[in-house]
Amino acid sequence: MVLSLWIQAILSGVTNGFVYGLIGLGIAVVFRGARIINAMQGDFALLGGVVAYLLVHNLGWPLPAAFLAAMLSGAVCGMLVERLLIRPTARRQGTDDSYLLVTLGGAFAVSASVLLYFGRDSYVLPGIGGDQSVDVFNAAIRVHALALIVIGTLVVIALRWFYRGTRLGQAMLAASIDPDGAQTIGINVPLVRTLTFGLGGLVGGLAGMLVTPLINLHYEMGLLLTLKGFAAAVLGGLTSPFGAVFGGLVLGLVESLAIVTVSSGYKDVIAMTILILIMIVMPQGLFGRRGRMGG
Amino acid sequence: MSSRPIAVTASRTLTIAAWIAGIAVWAALPWLLGRGSVDILVFAGLYTIAGLGVSFLLGQCGIVSLAQSVFYGIGAYSTAYGTTVLGWPIPACMLAGIVVSGLVAMLVGTPVLRLSGYFLALATLALAIMGHVLFLEWDWLTGGTLGIGGIPHLSLFGFTLNTPFRFYYFIWPCAAVVLWLHYNLLRSRTGIALRAMRDAPSAAKVAGIRVESLRVRTFILSAVLGSFAGSLFAHYVSFVSIDSFGIDRAIGFLLIAVLGGARSISGTVVGALFVTAAPNLLSRLGEIHPLLFALLLIVAVIFLPSGFGGAFADLWRRLGGSLRPTVKDGTP
Repeated sequence: MVLSLWIQAILSGVTNGFVYGLIGLGIAVVFRGARIINAMQGDFALLGGVVAYLLVHNLGWPLPAAFLAAMLSGAVCGMLVERLLIRPTARRQGTDDSYLLVTLGGAFAVSASVLLYFGRDSYVLPGIGGDQSVDVFNAAIRVHALALIVIGTLVVIALRWFYRGTRLGQAMLAASIDPDGAQTIGINVPLVRTLTFGLGGLVGGLAGMLVTPLINLHYEMGLLLTLKGFAAAVLGGLTSPFGAVFGGLVLGLVESLAIVTVSSGYKDVIAMTILILIMIVMPQGLFGRRGRMGG
Repeated sequence: MSSRPIAVTASRTLTIAAWIAGIAVWAALPWLLGRGSVDILVFAGLYTIAGLGVSFLLGQCGIVSLAQSVFYGIGAYSTAYGTTVLGWPIPACMLAGIVVSGLVAMLVGTPVLRLSGYFLALATLALAIMGHVLFLEWDWLTGGTLGIGGIPHLSLFGFTLNTPFRFYYFIWPCAAVVLWLHYNLLRSRTGIALRAMRDAPSAAKVAGIRVESLRVRTFILSAVLGSFAGSLFAHYVSFVSIDSFGIDRAIGFLLIAVLGGARSISGTVVGALFVTAAPNLLSRLGEIHPLLFALLLIVAVIFLPSGFGGAFADLWRRLGGSLRPTVKDGTP
C-alpha cells in the first residue's frame, strides 16, 4: 500500500519530468543556437496543443496527422518569432533583458489570443492509446505517458545526431559560437538563426501535443511551463538537449516526492526554490563542462 | 555663445510655467472626470510608487525585478491582517509591512542578487510565483481566495479617504514626495556610486564601492516602496484577495519601468498612467484587449528601448536644444 504510493509518485514524477524536459529541450535548442532565452517556449507548446485540439475535434483529423500539423505550426511560429520579434530587437542593439521582455510580450500575445478564441475553459486532447493505463507494481501509468517518455528519448537522440552529423546542425553551432567567422566561411547566419528558432518551435509544438492529454489545455499554462522547462534546462547546463531532459527528470521527481512528503500546495514553491538554488550554486548545471552561460 | 544666459532664463521661465500648468491640470482633473476615471488615476498613483521601485532597480542597477508583486502583497496583507485581526493602529501596520518587506528583500536578495542577466530575471519571476503560492496557502494569514475585507479607510485631518476623489488628492502628493526623494538620492553620493556600479562595475569596485551590498540595499528600497504602495492599496479598496498579487501584477510593475523608461524617474509616472489607463481604454474594444496590450508591449520594447521617458527626453532635447545647453546623459 505505502510502497505503491511511492511507486505512483515516482511514475508521475518521471512523466512530469519528461514534460519539463521537452520544454527545456526547446529552450536549450534556442539558447544553443542564438544565446537567447526564449520565454515563449511554453507558449509554443500551448499553440501546438491548440492546433492539435482544433484539428482533432473540429475537423476530425486522425491523431497522427494532427500531431504532425501541430509540430509544423510550432516550427512556423518559431520562425515568425525570430523574424518579427528577435531580428528587429537585434537591429536596435538588443540586450539580454530586451530579448527576454520581447519574448515575454510574445508569450502574452499567444496566451491572449488563446483566451480570445478559446475562452477560459480547459480542454483535453485524447492521448496515444486513449485512456488506457498499464500496471507497474500496483501503480498505474497511462499508455500516453509511456509514449511521451519514448518519444522524448527519441527526440534527444535525434537532436544529438542533428548537431553532430548534419551540416545544418553544425552550421547552427558555428553561427552561435562565432557569427562573424561563420559568415566568412559562407554560412547564411540570419537564415540559420531563423531555422534555429524554427527548430525550437518544432520541439515546442511536439511538446504541446504530447503534454495536452496529460495537462489541461488552458490559456495561462504557457508561462509556468516555460519556467519549469527553464529550470530543467539550467539544471542540464542550458545548452545540452540530453541535459535538459535529465534536469527535467530531477525536477519532476523532486516535485512529486515533495507532494507525497510535504503537501501538493507547495509543489511550485519547492520547484522554484530548486531553480534558484541551482542557478546560484551550480550555474553551469549538473554536468558543468562549459562555462557559465546564463549571465 | 553670448546669448546663453538669456536662453537659460527663458528655459527656467518655461519650466516654471510648465510646472504651474501641470499642477493646475492635476488639481482640476477630478472635477472634470467621472468617478471611474478618477479611480484609474488613483491606481496610477499607487502603481507609480510601486513601479518606481522596479524602475529604479532596472535603471540604476540593471536588475530586472519581477518580484514587486510579492512586496506589494506583503504590504497589503500586513495592513489587512494588522487592522482587522490584531486591531493595530494603521501606521503601525504599514510600518510592520515595510519592515517585513525589507527583511524579506534582504534575506532573499543577498543570495539572489549575485546572479545577473537571464538568471536574475528568471529568479525574480520564480520569487513572484513562490510569493503567489504562499499567499494562497497561508490562508490563516491572507484569507486565501476569499481574501480579507473590512479594512478601514485612511483618514487625514478629519477627512475619511473613502472615495476615489478624496484619495486622489492624497495619493499623488505621496507619489510626488517619493519621486522627489529619488531625485535627491540620484544626486547624492549614493546616486553617483549607483551609476558607477551600473556603467563600470569593475571600476566601481576599484573605487571602493561595495557593489554587492549596494545592490541589496537598492533591492530593499524597492521592496519598501512596493510594500508602502500595497498598504495604501489595501486601505483604498478595503478588501484584498489573492487576485491582486499574481504574476500579471508583477509583470505590470515591470512594464511601468520598461515603458516609462527606467533611466528617467518621471517616466515612471507616464508608465504607470499607461499601464492603468490603456487596458481600461482598450477593454471598450471587447475581449481583444489583452492581445492588443501584449502587442503594444512588444512594439514599445522594440521601438522605444528607453521607454516613453526616453522618447520624451529626446523630443524635448530636439525641440528645446538651444534653450537647454547641457543635458547630461543618464541623469533624469
